[in-house]
Amino acid sequence: MAISKEIYKALEAVVGSQYISDDPVICEGYRSGPGGYESGLGYERVMTKVPGCVIMPRTTEEVQRIVKVCYRNDVPYVPYSTGFYGSRSHPHVEDALLIDLKRMNDFKLDEKHFYVEVGPGMIYSPIQEECMKHGAYVVIGGGGAQASAIANLIGDGWSPLSHRIGLPHRRILGTEVVMPDGELLKLGSLAEGDDPFWGEGPGPDLRGLLRGYTGLRGCLGIVTRMAIKTLPFQPERLEPTGISPNTALALPEKRVKWINFVVPSKDAQVQAMREIGHAEIAGAVTKVPLFWRAIAKAECKEEFWDLWSKENEETVANFFIVRVLLIGYTSEEQMEYDERVLMDIMSEVGGIARRTKPSDESWIKNADSAGMWLMCGGYVSVDYVIETLSQSPDHGPSYADLKRKYTPPLMPDYGDPGWFQSFELGHQGYSEFLVYWDQDDDTNPVDQFYVDTSKMNIKNRFYTSLLGPHQPLYLTGPQYGPNYHEFLLKVKNEFDPKWKSHPPVPLAHDVFVERAPWMHHMKDWESPDDLPK
Amino acid sequence: MADPSPVRYYKPAAEFKLDITDVKNFVYDMSRCIKCKGCTWVDHTYMPGPKFMTRCPSAAKYEFDAYGAYGKMRIGHAMAEGRLGWNETALEVLYACTLCGACDVGCKRNLDLEVGLSLEALRVKAVQDGVGPLPAHKRIAESIAQKHNLYGAPSEKRTEWLPQGITPAQKAEVLYFAGCTASYVNREIAQSTAKILQAAGTAFMLMPDEWCCGNTVFSVGLFDEAKALAQRNIDQVRQTGVKTLLTSCAECYRMWKVDYPKVLNISTADLGFQVIHLVEYVDEKMKSGVLKMKKPLETRLTYHDSCGLARLSDPWTPYEGKRGWMGCVEPRLTRRRGNQEIYAKPRDILKAIPGVNLVEMPRTRENAFCCGAGRGVREAFPDFAEWAASHRLDEVKEIGAETLVSSCPWCKNNFAQAAKAGAADVQVLDISEVICASIEG
Repeated sequence: MAISKEIYKALEAVVGSQYISDDPVICEGYRSGPGGYESGLGYERVMTKVPGCVIMPRTTEEVQRIVKVCYRNDVPYVPYSTGFYGSRSHPHVEDALLIDLKRMNDFKLDEKHFYVEVGPGMIYSPIQEECMKHGAYVVIGGGGAQASAIANLIGDGWSPLSHRIGLPHRRILGTEVVMPDGELLKLGSLAEGDDPFWGEGPGPDLRGLLRGYTGLRGCLGIVTRMAIKTLPFQPERLEPTGISPNTALALPEKRVKWINFVVPSKDAQVQAMREIGHAEIAGAVTKVPLFWRAIAKAECKEEFWDLWSKENEETVANFFIVRVLLIGYTSEEQMEYDERVLMDIMSEVGGIARRTKPSDESWIKNADSAGMWLMCGGYVSVDYVIETLSQSPDHGPSYADLKRKYTPPLMPDYGDPGWFQSFELGHQGYSEFLVYWDQDDDTNPVDQFYVDTSKMNIKNRFYTSLLGPHQPLYLTGPQYGPNYHEFLLKVKNEFDPKWKSHPPVPLAHDVFVERAPWMHHMKDWESPDDLPK
Repeated sequence: MADPSPVRYYKPAAEFKLDITDVKNFVYDMSRCIKCKGCTWVDHTYMPGPKFMTRCPSAAKYEFDAYGAYGKMRIGHAMAEGRLGWNETALEVLYACTLCGACDVGCKRNLDLEVGLSLEALRVKAVQDGVGPLPAHKRIAESIAQKHNLYGAPSEKRTEWLPQGITPAQKAEVLYFAGCTASYVNREIAQSTAKILQAAGTAFMLMPDEWCCGNTVFSVGLFDEAKALAQRNIDQVRQTGVKTLLTSCAECYRMWKVDYPKVLNISTADLGFQVIHLVEYVDEKMKSGVLKMKKPLETRLTYHDSCGLARLSDPWTPYEGKRGWMGCVEPRLTRRRGNQEIYAKPRDILKAIPGVNLVEMPRTRENAFCCGAGRGVREAFPDFAEWAASHRLDEVKEIGAETLVSSCPWCKNNFAQAAKAGAADVQVLDISEVICASIEG
């Protein structure tokens, strides 16, 4: 149902005429694609719609009032912070109201209690800058420095710095959520006052409703305020240098230093990461895909392909690197001690330190996820797995094997197994697999590969992160549950009985498979006849 | 398993040119935007904190995504494909933009898309479609056509700015192109420039009949009119036989160095003469010992990077090629990224002046926030222009600067007006005035 004049007037009364529009030109500015995350894929073509109206609230109260108008008048709505997450964060149904939260960019730093408090319009890099000025730091997730901190934390929220600083759900403190019907839910200590210092309770810890493993993509309301835990950092300034595009943070090497090690094997990589975690040293420990090195070296996409085409299956198979970020949190002496421990560990595993630039280009403040699109134009991190440190390296090669069937149109990567690293001082291992393509190619196989990875994970019993709204719920739910999908749908029905908060998530991928003819032959699971149309 | 038959890597190469008269040349760029908003955020490495996070005046002022480059790319793509038509909002989205290049250098950090050229091509398309430019722009174009200057002023008064005691040469290796604003409105800039040239012992000439550079007509999409002006002005300069054309206006500088070659489909190197800004000239003379900054200027001073002398100033080279697999182009394209190292020169000059305490604003160099005056904005959207200047002056206040210096009369005027209206208690000067005052000491 289109948004009527009466409903428009009611919404306009909430924010003022300056901050609402149903002009087709304004709405076109919020089209999902064809560029973006999952660039040009079937999901973007089949599932996304230009919004019927856009509204920009400033306060939690305004969000509540907007949502209540929507709920009363059966208007579907989608919360939208920066729009970077591509098709999944854009409307999936006609005439939806897109609630653009960029004006809610409040920021407050509590230096004494080590947290920041932000609105959904606040992105990571300013938070990191302000934290570092006050002796603290946060993880800028792989989503990038341009990501809304709230959206990233209720979705993914990790990076190589998670080796030390921990997983996202451990950093979410007091939080405000406008539930799908407009009711305000306050989590943690915000439930009792205005101090967001504490994240758990009272009663059941409801932060799982926000993110579970990797988020619900706006189908359970809108987070309007969140306190995020920060951790102590060292005091020296990380000085920005260079002119764009070649900018970097110059590192004070007595307190912050990256060292790249070449090690003899994958086993040596894992052993090194485990020992580094056990020794409780380092701010980050990671192994990245070989093609990221080509991205870093190339000045343009053509040069990337020059560099990358020199690699082959053998060079990729024999690429064993461990990148370690040392941070002298407390003193130069601590840094020196950590470096000696690190060198002992590397000596034991046969690691050799390589010359490493005394700068950080892509993790501490920038987190350059946008550059991932440079060489092909189409990109998605098709899956992430958090396993044990010894299990997670097996995940990437299984993907690489499956990917061969779909290459082309996927980028030739010579079997690169992707990215893996240590989380929480080696307590977990993390693996992420990334795929790239040219969106002008026939991309249907990319859609098929995506679902095929889910089947592969089920077969191999990998506990994948991309469940719920990321894959067909009726494919993954019975296999990971057996009733995980029923539980999720019960939660959805309880809090959003009218399904107005970003419909048809969490069943959007099920609907996509139904709607896309090139996906039909993939469907070997049961689903009800009454999926949303 | 995937059906192998339709799967291919090979994609027929699509021919394209960096030619803004056909928006279809930029459909690839407009369709590849991923909304990372690198066009809007300050380069994250330089991100100054929760204040002053963005560098796009349009996106900051109007806030809807449509007004950021990420929205304009979607709108432009839809228009190029015939899915969306013009309306009043579309014209505002397109023209309430200073084409300051912040989006372009931001994108070229991440994706190398031709955002700036796409925006210029969309303005040309608006004119081709009969909906652009806006009435205020048409009045400017009319003034230029009739009186050869922006202001509709008598052309015979154009050289009245010349100070006593300075007589331009009839023939010289250096030609000073004063531009409309320094000739008619901010004569102190032209006068200071002439005095600096004289102090350095550089004989200079003026154009026998100087006309407007055409910045506004080019910027609002009047391509044919801009091309005619470019051809006329270049022919005039070539006839003088000068080796160097010097400007003291960043907008004139950009036109001569970048946009004249662009509209005439030649390289900057093929102009037949060198185009330099006063800042480049003084930097060279200062470092070779010809000019000395003597008289102190006791002030806490900050420098505003005028867009035309900063991220928009890379030289132009025509390009025609093919785009194939993964969007790679052949032959290789040297992207214009606004990183040609011009940023240091004005700072080196200002730091050489005794007594100057040069302090940087949170957003500097390629991340600078445009003053808001240029490319047709001041004429059609004066409120927006004043808002942008006031917003920039907030940064001046933030760092406690007493003096704001730029290298462009457009910046000077816009800042001065905003300051006068109460945005900040700050002295606004052009760099030519500051240099002149110091060397005369």
